[in-house]
Amino acid sequence: MRPLVLTIVVFIAGYITARFSLITQAIDLSYFAWDHGVLGRATKGFLILSLFFFLFFLPIERIASREISLGEFLLMGSNGLMRVFWPLDFQRSSQPGVLVGWRNSELDIFVVDILNGVDSRRVAKELSSRSLYRKSLHSVERIFELCGRTELHVLGSVNEEPGPLFQPDHIYAFTDKSCRYPQIFCPPASGIDFQVILFQRPHPRRMQYLSLTPISLALEDRMTNGSIGDGDDTIEEQRERERKAELVEKLKLHSVVRPTPTMKEKGLQMIIDQINCSHEMRQLLKENVGLIMSRRSRRSLSVSERVVESATSLWRIVLKGLMDTAKFLWPFATKLFVLIILVWRLVAETILRVLEWRLRPELAALKDISATAQQFDIRLQQFCYWPIQYVTLRRRKADWESVTTSHPDYIRFYNSLWLVANDVIIGIALGSYIIENAGGVAYQIDYYLRSYTVEGMKAMIYWLTKRPGGLKLNDDLGDFLGDLFIWVIDYWADTMTNIRPHLPGVIYAIGFSSFAGASMPIALFSDLLSILTLHVYSFYIASARIYNWQLTIIISLFHLFRGKKRNVLRNRIDSCDYDLDQLLIGTILFTLLIFLLPTVLVFYLTFASARMAIIMLKATLETLLACLNHFPLFALMLRIKDSKRLPGGIRFELLDTVAVVKGFKRSYEIPPLSYINLKSTPLPFGAMFHQYFQLGQRIRKHYVSPHVIICLMTGRFVPPIHRKNLYSMQYSMLPTKRAGMLELWIRLTEDQPGNGAVPANGRTFG
Amino acid sequence: MFTASPKLRVRSPSPTTVEFTVTTAPSNILTRQVVTWSTFLLRLLVCSSAVLLVLLKYYPPQTLTLSTRVHAYVHPLLQYISIALAARIPWQYLLPSAIAGLYIAIFIPGCTEESLLVIRDLGVQISTTTWGGRRSRFIPTSAVRDLWIHEGFCGFEVRFYLAVVVEGEEGVVVVFPVSFAPGGDGRGANELGGRRCCRTGGFWNWSGGGRKGVYMSLGGWGGRFSKRHGHIIPLVG
Repeated sequence: MRPLVLTIVVFIAGYITARFSLITQAIDLSYFAWDHGVLGRATKGFLILSLFFFLFFLPIERIASREISLGEFLLMGSNGLMRVFWPLDFQRSSQPGVLVGWRNSELDIFVVDILNGVDSRRVAKELSSRSLYRKSLHSVERIFELCGRTELHVLGSVNEEPGPLFQPDHIYAFTDKSCRYPQIFCPPASGIDFQVILFQRPHPRRMQYLSLTPISLALEDRMTNGSIGDGDDTIEEQRERERKAELVEKLKLHSVVRPTPTMKEKGLQMIIDQINCSHEMRQLLKENVGLIMSRRSRRSLSVSERVVESATSLWRIVLKGLMDTAKFLWPFATKLFVLIILVWRLVAETILRVLEWRLRPELAALKDISATAQQFDIRLQQFCYWPIQYVTLRRRKADWESVTTSHPDYIRFYNSLWLVANDVIIGIALGSYIIENAGGVAYQIDYYLRSYTVEGMKAMIYWLTKRPGGLKLNDDLGDFLGDLFIWVIDYWADTMTNIRPHLPGVIYAIGFSSFAGASMPIALFSDLLSILTLHVYSFYIASARIYNWQLTIIISLFHLFRGKKRNVLRNRIDSCDYDLDQLLIGTILFTLLIFLLPTVLVFYLTFASARMAIIMLKATLETLLACLNHFPLFALMLRIKDSKRLPGGIRFELLDTVAVVKGFKRSYEIPPLSYINLKSTPLPFGAMFHQYFQLGQRIRKHYVSPHVIICLMTGRFVPPIHRKNLYSMQYSMLPTKRAGMLELWIRLTEDQPGNGAVPANGRTFG
Repeated sequence: MFTASPKLRVRSPSPTTVEFTVTTAPSNILTRQVVTWSTFLLRLLVCSSAVLLVLLKYYPPQTLTLSTRVHAYVHPLLQYISIALAARIPWQYLLPSAIAGLYIAIFIPGCTEESLLVIRDLGVQISTTTWGGRRSRFIPTSAVRDLWIHEGFCGFEVRFYLAVVVEGEEGVVVVFPVSFAPGGDGRGANELGGRRCCRTGGFWNWSGGGRKGVYMSLGGWGGRFSKRHGHIIPLVG
């Protein structure tokens, strides 16, 4: 197609040229122009114009573009905010140096360190060629990933003469021995506000760190589904939670406009991570800069040095042989140890299965009934969890110390270890006392039990049958009830006398069990108490039933007395026409029961209060158990020793700028400037004991609720607080689902090669 | 106890950082030190004397056995206190008054200082300093969902309070909680009251006014306040 078009075009052009003799006319025109001097004038004009261009237009264009760039900067800076994070432990000297750190955005920089005695260009080159990270023990990429950046930058210079303009990509700062805070050069004309945020570097080796959210002492999976929404809370609590969730949803509808957060706002977590890593990063830079500064060639050894070396190497050879043997034996030893742990784990698993076994799913397991079984359960679960915790903590060694994710695990692990050790120590003291005085202790327990639950109860019942406090009760009913209860008490006392000779043996056994921890005898004693006061419990139930029946009968007869009747179908009270004989008999029975009520009430009150006293005693024992099993001892010690290890959030402190500026040595003009101190707030004591408060609140809510009080008053059965509710605190440091045998085996065996491989990996990196 | 009328102090070294402090402590630094220490000593004195009196009543000094050196100095003093006070006051007066004294000494609020620190691009920090220590809460800007002015009932009056709604939290965080709380002194808050707050480019900018109540407009949110609360006049910054 194209050649055809081309041919046609060429043909037309040739035709037009021929037809109008264009070439002849063009030659004529050029002759004419030459004759009249057009060419010379055109050349002159071209020359003048280019001179003009070179002399005026180029400089003006240069000036204008510079002005424009300046103006743009001014416009941007009119509300520009430069944020500088600066460590407080910087080297205060007046030597020139280079600022090295992270550049989070153009106006948001984070100073890691000041390198003295090096050139900024050279540092930039070394940073980009990564030779400044050479001697790192672990992967450098890992720490970059932690800090959310890909490389370190040269941010500016220290104590050097600044240029006339402020450049955010290379700032000039001044430090001096006498001044605590750095001075940053920025003429006010640049229109930039400064925030200098000073922070104290947390020391990763001491496990200090900063965190935006308070450190949680309980396990996370507990926090999410354990204590908050586990289904074992009351319906009321659940309803309250739902209502609040609905309110929160409504709250979201209220904010119509939500400004999108800027990069600076979103970067807070990253900056906290950078602060946490800055100590190790600085250490790394310091080491490598030292290397760069002092690169010397190695010279060969002299003769005398060689002699000394060969003499010392003999000892080294012996040591090496020993080390090799140890290295050869080490895997076998660890394998053996792992096997021992697994065997123990198998035993623990079997016992745990027995403790958790339920006849039917809705029935209570053994650990729900007995405090001892519960205690066993807690200890065994702790035992199952320790190897896994330990392996997790070991893994920490293979990574940078700035990685803070496992710090709460560390605290939990040592807290539980320490609590168990404490428990055992107290237990040994308690146990040795009990064993030595088994007879005396048994006698004391027997004496108190007899005098309070048998003799005291009997005396009380006798008193009740004989017009207590001048109250005129029904003698016959009182005698009948009293005889009934005393008969049972006598029978119980007979049984007790049969048991009595064995009591020292039981106490001896309890004392022996306390070598497994003081919590064990307490749990055993709690169980013993519930067994030995079984008769009080049965009295309470019996009297409560009688009282409750009588009360219900009285209420329905009262309706009859008023000519009303309870309609069960509609759940309301209807009028009813009774016959005369019905009314008569009903009224007589009503009067009779009303007169008999005080007698029954008195008995009921006695047994109910006895029952309540026993419940209180058991609650005290259980609180003691909770303290022994869960007290945040290690956390408390850390809080006192080094509160930075338990971060509860961050806090800012605005410094007095006038006072800060007074200390500056250089007299440059100062832009709007604020110095802010960033600090870590320690975890408040309230948060440490949060679960105790929660437990107290739950108990209070359960036993002081109107429902329970009405139950007590009408003689209905008071539902005991669910054991799961009471014990959720004790389990809060254990995972909801324990790891199986296979998982444990995998975790324990994969650990050994992992530990060896990672440092080697780090070394190949450097 | 020894508190001055609440004063508002605003520190703003640069337009991007502002700190508002409402304090009931005396402004003079010397007076403040004197007041702080004297109240602390007074509390200590009340607590220790309450405990001492109850103990002396329970264990009269005749029954005590102290080491001889301590005995020479302390015993006459204890004896004197016991005879002069502890023995004379009967239990039914001593015990309640001791408990009341302890309660007052511990729970009476001394000088209270509350502050709000707003740092652009970082967040808001609310802190309260009482004699028991300092409590502070920092809320990053990304976690701030909304800022509210609401009215709350305090006894028989209605007070306005400024509150921060935090993302994903059930309750709101009240700024200057003590000054606004029932029984707290609202005057500091009223003084704060004529300030308005507007959000420009992600920052709350406060400037002076002179009316009762807290006026606030939050950029686009200003209009909504006027609809919900007719008497709060929105001032769009």
